[in-house]
Amino acid sequence: MKLRILFLRLISLVTYIFLWAPVIVIIVFSFSANKYGIKWDGFTWKWYAALLENDMVRETCLRSLVIALITVVVSTFLGTITAYGLYKLKFKGKQLLRTSILLPIVMPEVVTGAALLLFFIKLSPLQLGYTTIIIAHIVFSTPLAVFVILGRMQRIDWSWEEASMDLGATRLSTFRRVIGPLLMPGIAGAAALIFPWSFDDFVITYFVSGIGNTTLPIYVFSQLRHGSTPVINVIGTLFTVITLIGLLATKMAEKRSRTARL
Amino acid sequence: MATTAESRLAESSRVQTASPETSGEREMKRRHRFQVATYLGPIMFVQVLFVLAPLSFILMFSVLKTGPYGNIVFELTLENYRNLLDTGYATVFFKSIYYALQTNFVCILLSYPLAYYIARYGGRWKASLLLLIVIPSWTAYIIRLYALKTILGSNGLINNFLIDLGVIQLPIQFLYTSYAVSAGLVYTWLPFMVLPLYAALEGLDSSLWEAAKDLGATPVRRFFRVTLPLTRGGLLAGTLLVFIPSLGDWLVPHLLGGSKFMMAGTLVAHKFTAAGDIPGGSCLAAALAFVLLLLIYFVIRFGGRESLEQAL
Repeated sequence: MKLRILFLRLISLVTYIFLWAPVIVIIVFSFSANKYGIKWDGFTWKWYAALLENDMVRETCLRSLVIALITVVVSTFLGTITAYGLYKLKFKGKQLLRTSILLPIVMPEVVTGAALLLFFIKLSPLQLGYTTIIIAHIVFSTPLAVFVILGRMQRIDWSWEEASMDLGATRLSTFRRVIGPLLMPGIAGAAALIFPWSFDDFVITYFVSGIGNTTLPIYVFSQLRHGSTPVINVIGTLFTVITLIGLLATKMAEKRSRTARL
Repeated sequence: MATTAESRLAESSRVQTASPETSGEREMKRRHRFQVATYLGPIMFVQVLFVLAPLSFILMFSVLKTGPYGNIVFELTLENYRNLLDTGYATVFFKSIYYALQTNFVCILLSYPLAYYIARYGGRWKASLLLLIVIPSWTAYIIRLYALKTILGSNGLINNFLIDLGVIQLPIQFLYTSYAVSAGLVYTWLPFMVLPLYAALEGLDSSLWEAAKDLGATPVRRFFRVTLPLTRGGLLAGTLLVFIPSLGDWLVPHLLGGSKFMMAGTLVAHKFTAAGDIPGGSCLAAALAFVLLLLIYFVIRFGGRESLEQAL
């Protein structure tokens, strides 16, 4: 009995170390004076200073942020109305539609990327660039939003909706004042999933971005070709720290709202 | 005469009683159709234009020819598919499937005990322990692979450590080997196996264990007869989430395997971006998609549709 728990603990520990070691290495080496950023040569802030002066990083980071924000807004909206339709309505071909919505996430990214690239250059009047990147991100993010929000819909009490409509509220105001707030955890969850998904995406973006429309991950990739640079460590550290802060903030807000309700 | 008049009368009365009903029904139907169009019209538009059309486009291009100058010749041919069988591509495909299976297997071996530990012994740390699995995967994929490179490289952490210890004199080549690719694939996709397994194990009713124990089942027997069958859904969901992306992975073999290491994903990307052989690339992409759809079909067959949607 004891031995079994010890064994489970050991495997768990090894797995945690495996998952965290690279992240910790990045954070530690972002403060190392070594000019390739691959070993410890004493403490320095200079790579952080270098990052602030790096226009490319600032520019591509801003671009990735804008793309991710637009993607989050459009795909959560689209996801919400789609999930509502799928949940409420019965019609022919519903199962087919559900399956087809899953396609962009079950296809490997190279296939989706290649298909979209081919479509954009051969059939659409669009030039490769921002528009195509945003369309591609919406295409692979919306399915996530649909199924996360659908999951939430299965858990809420729909008699609230009936009550609201019986009391004379229109469908729209019922949605805005009753169903919307009930769905909010699902919508927020979808947004929290999609934002990093879109911000980090490399493969599909690489296919549809065309020349010169660099996002942050593509910039990092181009830097990797020139060998190691400590700036990548700094970017990685900031990524992790920002994610952690966002996560802790969500947890705190959750806790506060829970205690407020009690 | 009378009969025709009677029948006409009957007919007209039937029409009269029926007509308000049908118009009401029609009204209902019209409203229903309107609702379907408002709520689901936009997604259908996106699906048809940006998912189904591009994927059919891939299929279409896969039966065209590449001309001598890399141009596309509009002439139907199965040459690309024949190439797939004749040249080394088939080997690359089988190799990719092998790596994806291996990744999946190692992920299960590592994730099952971990998920089991969190679900049964996590106590009040459950949420935190799960977060500790998710957080590393939220640091951009490309940056984490770069970190793995830093650790595995000939000038990297492991080699430096071993040389400093005096275990080895010359660095061992870890990077740009198949081992590095395997490690990278497991590293990248591991969290996607842990989460569905955890969900499945957490949902298990612990009274089932008690019952099995009371009935005299040994721990091993309990695991294989109770726990494992009941977490089949989680295993299938995790398999979909790990097998699919690792089969089509491009960056891991590209960055950790070196330029000569080819997997299906690398090959597709290479054909499209570097070689400019669109028909050849389309054919490879179509074959890759086909393999995956086959897999998904089997998962739905044996695990039910829920396991697919539960995966999300």
